[in-house]
Amino acid sequence: MRAYGADLLTYDEHVIACFLVLGAGEDKITVSWGLNRSLPAGADEAYKEVEVRLCYAPASQADRGWRKTDDDLSKDKTCQFGVAVRPYTTTNSTSFEYELSRELPTATYFIRAYVLDFDGKVVAYGQTTDDRKAADLFEVVEISGRSLSLDIAAGCFSTFSVLLLLLFFVADRRKKAKE
Amino acid sequence: MEDSKKPSSLQVELPESEVTHFKLPVDSEHKATEFRLLSFAAPHMRAFHLSWFSFFCCFVSTFAAPPLLPVIRDSLGLTTTDIGNAGIASVSGVVFARLAMGTACDLVGPRLASASLILLTTPAVYFTAIINSASSYLLVRFFTGFSIATFVSCQFWMSSMFSPPKVGVANGLAGGWGNLGGGATQLIMPLVYDLIRDTGTASFTAWRVAFFIPGVMQTLSAIAVLASGQDMPDGNYRNLEKAGNKPKDSFHKVFYHGVSNYRGWILALTYGYCFGVELTVDNIIAEYFYDRFGVNLQIAGIIAASFGLANIVSRPGGGWLSDRMSERFGMRGRLWSLWVVQSFGGFLCIMLGRMDTLSASIVVMVLFSFFVQAACGLTFGVVPFVSRRSLGLISGMTGGGGSLGAVITQLIFFRGSKYSKETGITLMGIMILCCTLPIMLIYFPQWGGMFCGPKPNATEEVYYSAEWNEKEKEKGYHSASLKFADNSVGERGEKGGSSPTIPVDVPTQA
Repeated sequence: MRAYGADLLTYDEHVIACFLVLGAGEDKITVSWGLNRSLPAGADEAYKEVEVRLCYAPASQADRGWRKTDDDLSKDKTCQFGVAVRPYTTTNSTSFEYELSRELPTATYFIRAYVLDFDGKVVAYGQTTDDRKAADLFEVVEISGRSLSLDIAAGCFSTFSVLLLLLFFVADRRKKAKE
Repeated sequence: MEDSKKPSSLQVELPESEVTHFKLPVDSEHKATEFRLLSFAAPHMRAFHLSWFSFFCCFVSTFAAPPLLPVIRDSLGLTTTDIGNAGIASVSGVVFARLAMGTACDLVGPRLASASLILLTTPAVYFTAIINSASSYLLVRFFTGFSIATFVSCQFWMSSMFSPPKVGVANGLAGGWGNLGGGATQLIMPLVYDLIRDTGTASFTAWRVAFFIPGVMQTLSAIAVLASGQDMPDGNYRNLEKAGNKPKDSFHKVFYHGVSNYRGWILALTYGYCFGVELTVDNIIAEYFYDRFGVNLQIAGIIAASFGLANIVSRPGGGWLSDRMSERFGMRGRLWSLWVVQSFGGFLCIMLGRMDTLSASIVVMVLFSFFVQAACGLTFGVVPFVSRRSLGLISGMTGGGGSLGAVITQLIFFRGSKYSKETGITLMGIMILCCTLPIMLIYFPQWGGMFCGPKPNATEEVYYSAEWNEKEKEKGYHSASLKFADNSVGERGEKGGSSPTIPVDVPTQA
């Protein structure tokens, strides 16, 4: 058990188990979570809400300071996308079907669920991967943002600019020849 | 009356049919002795407005990517190293382009040289909209960066249109308002991106579409330069060469007299640590505020913009200060003020890296921007006097040195994750202080240097005529240099100077 203080990620026994199923469709995933059954009863008294987030795996964090992991949660940039916020219930497992945001960049991810108490502080968490963030990662391929019309527009505008220059030189040469 | 019309080696007379009356008072080279900001009168003030605006558009394009990096880096999957490399690329191609541009201006004139460069680099801007990898990102930034070689044609054009007492302020305003583009783009691009996103476009498409704005601005400005610009007060190079009024110079001679002048090399180095620093900051500052202080894209853009926007007054202020110092202390005043201002800028840079709060950082950054940009203006208060024959090449060397400074600084301090950005900024400040010291070595025999006075019998005529050999002097090729020598006697300051330049052609009121 390691506790880092009020604002920091608290690793303690009250870890909740988190599971992930990649949906049959291309852009949906099903996340489910529930309290780790091996914990003593009453462990979850302070739990109020579960906030599920999409987080970058280490491979996608390398050499990218804006996705850095920091033990101080207020500075931590690992989990930049929200998936769901649900009140904590004592049922065995709660599920949520998440449709991937169209603005996700190409990267390797995992899911993490933070548990908040009545003061909004993080008191426990669970994630779909192991402590080293190496197992059960999944990849998302982004929607590119390029399109045929953009390609054509870029080509046309460029050609126009260069043609303009050529036309000017030709006109200039004609003037020279006349003089 | 017949005799006065015969061309002598000291005067090049225009044939009667080509004598024009200018709307501004001019000197013997027909360069304007007054600067009227709100006028668009051809050829002088019009050249000024065309010049600064086209240069502005090039700056907008070259630094259009940095404010959108928080979006682009995810869209293309860039790493910090990729971003650093592209930043270096954006200012490295232009090192050689500026040298080439200087010579091109000497040979074909600033109008043609700048319009060609601008139109040939616009495809790189348009293609930024369709890139899809780190290497293509690097390539488009590299080629787009070539466009800021128009700085050289801009300064050359101003030095051809304005007389020595006003050349500092003309160069300062044109350069400053052009550099403004680096600040304006930090406001324009996030704004355009936002507007496009408001129409419902996804963010990874919106940033691409946004790049058409700088592209179109660039194309239009080049058209304006071609359509309504003019190389020199008396006409375009081609026409002047045909009429025999301007001898076509040789590339080898121009090159030799430029590179053999040690002052050009010193100014190239020191410019690397005012202008080069400015370019570096344009590349890193939005991301710095976004990542270090957690502000959003728009706020980071506004803060970053205020660095570049200071150019409205800071660089021209430097040019103005140079001219004022020259009035009292001559060239020595220009050199001293350059050293003091740039060194103080270095000190402020050191401080910027050490500020821990957002508000302190912003305050120091704004002060820093004023001093570093004023130093740029002060540098170009000195450049026009280094050489007359190879003015373009010296401008090009200085400009190229500026960009090289940006390359070196980014390579050492802002690539990869070795130094944090704040440490990099502080170290950059120390480097500024060191690389500004060589200004102490600049010496003009007829005017002196920072620590030494002028040689007793040295004259401006001797200094500028030394760039021509006997044969060329016999043919009168050096007549423009002699006129310039005459007009630059003011650089002796109050004590040594003769009366200020008397306008030759004063316009009469209609």
